[in-house]
Amino acid sequence: MELILQQLPIVIGALNVGFLQTLKLFFVTLLGAIPLGLLIAFGSMSKFKPLSALMKTLVWVIRGTPLMIQLLIIYYFPGLVLGTPIWGGGEGGRFAAAACSFILNYACYFSEIYRGGIQGVPVGQEEAGLVLGMTKRQIFFQVTLLQMIKRIVPPMSNEIITLVKDTSLARIIALQEIIWAGQAFMKGSQGISGAIWPLFFTAVYYLICNGILTLAFGKLEKKLDYFR
Amino acid sequence: MKKVFALLLAAAMLLSMAACGSSGSEAPASAPAEASAAEGSAAASAEAPADSEVAAIQAAGKLVVGITDFEPRDYKNEAGEWVGFDADMAKAFAESLGVAVEFVEIDWDNKIMELDGKTIDCVWNGMTLTDEVTSAMECSKPYCNNAQIVIVPAAVADQYQDAESVKGLNFAVEAGSAGEAAVNELGATATPVKAQSDALMEVAAGTSDAAVIDSLMAAAMVGEGTSYADLTYTVGLTTEEYGVGFRKGSDLAEKLNEFFAASYADGTMMKIAETYGVQAAIIAQ
Repeated sequence: MELILQQLPIVIGALNVGFLQTLKLFFVTLLGAIPLGLLIAFGSMSKFKPLSALMKTLVWVIRGTPLMIQLLIIYYFPGLVLGTPIWGGGEGGRFAAAACSFILNYACYFSEIYRGGIQGVPVGQEEAGLVLGMTKRQIFFQVTLLQMIKRIVPPMSNEIITLVKDTSLARIIALQEIIWAGQAFMKGSQGISGAIWPLFFTAVYYLICNGILTLAFGKLEKKLDYFR
Repeated sequence: MKKVFALLLAAAMLLSMAACGSSGSEAPASAPAEASAAEGSAAASAEAPADSEVAAIQAAGKLVVGITDFEPRDYKNEAGEWVGFDADMAKAFAESLGVAVEFVEIDWDNKIMELDGKTIDCVWNGMTLTDEVTSAMECSKPYCNNAQIVIVPAAVADQYQDAESVKGLNFAVEAGSAGEAAVNELGATATPVKAQSDALMEVAAGTSDAAVIDSLMAAAMVGEGTSYADLTYTVGLTTEEYGVGFRKGSDLAEKLNEFFAASYADGTMMKIAETYGVQAAIIAQ
């Protein structure tokens, strides 16, 4: 116990740096995947067959393969097969490759949630809008969109909480997020070696982060309640 | 109208993906971008067998060294700078080539992919020269000795003092490590785990009877003052040699051999070794 107290400041410092990387990946993924997912959702609902087929294939491939493999392919494929390592070996390149993989992966999951939300709005509302002389665009932005947002909050909160934890997969391409930082003390880092507890301690960070997200989503859901 | 909208969306999709790709290659700022450009030209010149990777590295101005955080080979000091026997030797080697050195932490399982994918130029991290390593990389001459040793709980250590007595145990070993090879040769059952440190955790948690890790690491990680105070090491299974790995066909390996010979001859190698307490393991060059 005394040993742990001695190690605590060093470990917390290192875990904070790792968690910052985790949060960075989390927010960049959300910023990219939320709009990209909407585009994919529109694409897969399109009446233009080649586009919807393309989007559905994309969603099938991305959802049908492990994120870990996607990370490995996106990071190593350019250098291994094409001979041009577009990402570079530094930390920035690893982060950019991880962010691209996560954005693409999560956009596909989000797109299906959006599609469910949009198609879940009763068709009568669209017909009513048409009768009132609204354009399709007006109907989407003024009638459908907000109702869709309300409907998708619970499934989106599910995915977003999963995303917080999935960021740990990026360690496969040596992105030094919090689990990597915790594991470093098992081998030896900054004068502490053979310490197991930092790895398990990382769970506290995830728990707190997801606790905050859960509260925020609860609030958001209440705010959107006026649709009832 | 709808088709036009659909096409626009498709175009927007493609653009956003392209943007994603290009921002990625720009993101790591100028230094790695330059490196990849230089390595790109290295790849092009590699097709002509006469061309040298030494020249490519010198043109790029830096040597990218793939490492893991592994005391006393490569680790960070209080100032956050990479030090250790291997790190200091890598710095000296880069200096002899007239280039800067950049240390990049990698996932050990992916070391060959990192090399062939040109995200690093060499693996220099207490790497055992196994068949897997020597067939996939252009390796330097061995420069350091090491042994694979058995880790057991201290309470039962006196029962397991020779190779015969440990045959019946369930071992945890790092996947693809020299320790795994040693256990397979012994004919004992082995559970492969992700890292040597994970193998120790298996023993500490009682999920495996014993682990096999390398002796330098065992000295740093097992016993008093660690989380593994209840573990100890007993019998050594095999001895092995450490080397530095480059891309297959690279002339950097030969260059490093010359550097090793020179720094062994003038005593700098030994001096660095003494700083990190590994002088007993150094192989004469």
